[in-house]
Amino acid sequence: MSAIGELRTLRRTGRGRLSPAQKEAEAKERRRDSRAALVFLAPWLVGLFGITVGPVLASLYLAFTDYNLLQDPNFVGLENVQRMLGDERLGRSLAATLTYVVVSVPIQLVVALALAYLLDRGIRGLAFYRSVLYLPSLLGASVAIAVLWRLVFGGEGLVNAFLGLFGITGPAWVAEPETALGTLIVLHVWTFGAPMVIFLAGLRQIPRQYYDAAATDGANRWQQLRSITLPLLSPIIFFNLVLGLIGTFQSFTQAYIVSNGSGGPTDSTLFFSLYLYQEGFAGFRMGYASALAWLLLLIIGAFTALNFWASKYWVFYDD
Amino acid sequence: MERPARRTVLVGSALTLVLGLAGCGIAPDPADAELSDGEVTLSITWWGADARHQATLDAIELFEKEHPRITVEPTYSDWSGYWDRLATTAAAADMPDVVQFDQLYLSSYAGRGALLDLDAVPQFLDASSLPENVLASGTVDGRLYAVPIGVAGNGVVLNTSLFEKYGVPVPDTDTWTWDDFDAAAEAISEASGGEAYGVSPFGWESFSLGIFARQRGDELFDAEGDVAIDPDTLAAYWQQELDWIESGAAPDAAHLSEQQGLPLDQGDTVLGRTAMSFQPGGLFTAIAAAAPDFDYEIVDWPTDPGTPPGFQYPKPSMYWAASSQSEHPAEAALLIDFLVNDPEVAQAFGTERGIPANEQFQADLEPTLDEAGRKALTFTEQVTDRSGNAPPITPNGASEVDTMLSRYNQRVQFGDLTPEQAADAFIEELRSAVEAAG
Repeated sequence: MSAIGELRTLRRTGRGRLSPAQKEAEAKERRRDSRAALVFLAPWLVGLFGITVGPVLASLYLAFTDYNLLQDPNFVGLENVQRMLGDERLGRSLAATLTYVVVSVPIQLVVALALAYLLDRGIRGLAFYRSVLYLPSLLGASVAIAVLWRLVFGGEGLVNAFLGLFGITGPAWVAEPETALGTLIVLHVWTFGAPMVIFLAGLRQIPRQYYDAAATDGANRWQQLRSITLPLLSPIIFFNLVLGLIGTFQSFTQAYIVSNGSGGPTDSTLFFSLYLYQEGFAGFRMGYASALAWLLLLIIGAFTALNFWASKYWVFYDD
Repeated sequence: MERPARRTVLVGSALTLVLGLAGCGIAPDPADAELSDGEVTLSITWWGADARHQATLDAIELFEKEHPRITVEPTYSDWSGYWDRLATTAAAADMPDVVQFDQLYLSSYAGRGALLDLDAVPQFLDASSLPENVLASGTVDGRLYAVPIGVAGNGVVLNTSLFEKYGVPVPDTDTWTWDDFDAAAEAISEASGGEAYGVSPFGWESFSLGIFARQRGDELFDAEGDVAIDPDTLAAYWQQELDWIESGAAPDAAHLSEQQGLPLDQGDTVLGRTAMSFQPGGLFTAIAAAAPDFDYEIVDWPTDPGTPPGFQYPKPSMYWAASSQSEHPAEAALLIDFLVNDPEVAQAFGTERGIPANEQFQADLEPTLDEAGRKALTFTEQVTDRSGNAPPITPNGASEVDTMLSRYNQRVQFGDLTPEQAADAFIEELRSAVEAAG
């Protein structure tokens, strides 16, 4: 309800019943209000329908076609779903993506929480450290850092030069099927800044008197962390977990740059989005790529639903 | 951040749908094309490195001087990303009017109606200056869709400075056999003590696979555009690479996988880490220019006594094509005609796009070339003299053949698959891609 409407409600409660004419006038005004709201919302609505809803619906249609970018799409029913069932690369892509998500999201959360916890202990120059620790998050998804990563973890990169000081000859981390995905996980964990800042804000909201009371009762740091901090922070952990999963499932840039767009070596870094991109834009199979996009949506939806269901058992809302 | 990826694709696909539908059916019949009376703006796009960008911009300036009513808007980039971008613009019916093409993608675009039939605009574009067998590689289903710009064979690039440095005699490359090649490669690896390698193997691109197959009387594709290669040939191609790794002539799998897709100036050939590598002749001048400290030669592949002659052929290194959606097909054809036939353009381009397919220009260029350019020209002349029939170009649906090769090659390198298993799986996947497009 608009501010004007609210004022009117106030006036009305003061005056009691309305005559039919007044009611009519009011309805008219309300309609004008909602028209004004529409006008103000228009830019956002154009974006929502033009850039989000429309394309999403179009891709749902394309998922059932053989669209190849250059010719008109033909409806092919469930052919794309059938293709998925026999698609060996899709399997490898799912394996790489799931490994990436399942390993890197929890590690990143633990690192972010640990650092937020340390920063919350009141270090001098907090703003400085916070900025420095946040920096990787701004850089991590950028092309430049991915390029840098390839050089740092290359056969003659920084990491191996460092290991060389101790007489260890490291492998070409980004070029070995066993270690390539690991370098991407490290890169992702390194971008812990966003969840860290959210954790920091959450920690600040926990009332100090809980800790004071606990200290009076003789609880040590560890007990305080377990019995006060973690339960009261659990909604924030849950929030970061859900956002982290959704974002990580859709990772693209790092794998694209580090593997030169191939998802290699031997598909070990073939993230789902990268595979979808290869199919759509390099293989001219946009219909299949659209179907893959919907599969990804379903997978992320399932994971998120599972998360919400599980949250009943461990998330504590203090209200 | 990460999140836009899926959304971008969704947005892209929907926009392309909407725009694609909007763009349908407006393509004019090229036979009716005529020059416009008013001002015309053409767009042109190509991939390449800095030297090519400047030369092409110079050529465009010459064209605009001769046709003051036509303005040409260039966009240019590196090879990586070029084709993704082109696919997107084509889907949005927004493809540039004139496009530099590669044979990998030619059938995939022409077969799906995205390219202008250049046979339909003879009044603006005369390609008769090019040899018949070269022009043939720009035709799809009997119609000319792309005009070859330069040609080159696939050669072995020798870093003679490295041979000298490690005291290994350069083999007699006029008569060398595969045994001579292997011996020289192993000698370099051994003498350098790991600083350099004898050979950067092939394994992940269809040009070298084609030559390898032709040395065995085989072809990758047949005239009907079907996958024709014998699995044994393909297995032998990958086995050769494994043998080189095994003997120490080539570096290990991780090093090789790191090399794939690197820009030329970061690769082992330019950095002097490898003494011999298999390269498209069109890259020779770029390699020589990127590494002024080394001396290079480009020579024909080694052979065995039973190798059939004529396994080499002058392969167009790139083409000019026009969009079938172009609003100005006549002007687009005119621009291609200028780029292919104008002697000043030939001087501006030099050998940077390969040896000019127009033989008159080869003669004109010869006195102006530097040493590397002359070596490249000599090699191409040699290849043309020994040339057999040009193989059919990559068929519709097979434009991914190189990335596919690279993928299976890595699985062979890292021991996931034997060369035989990889050969069977590769052929099956490529065949189904071609059939799906057919």
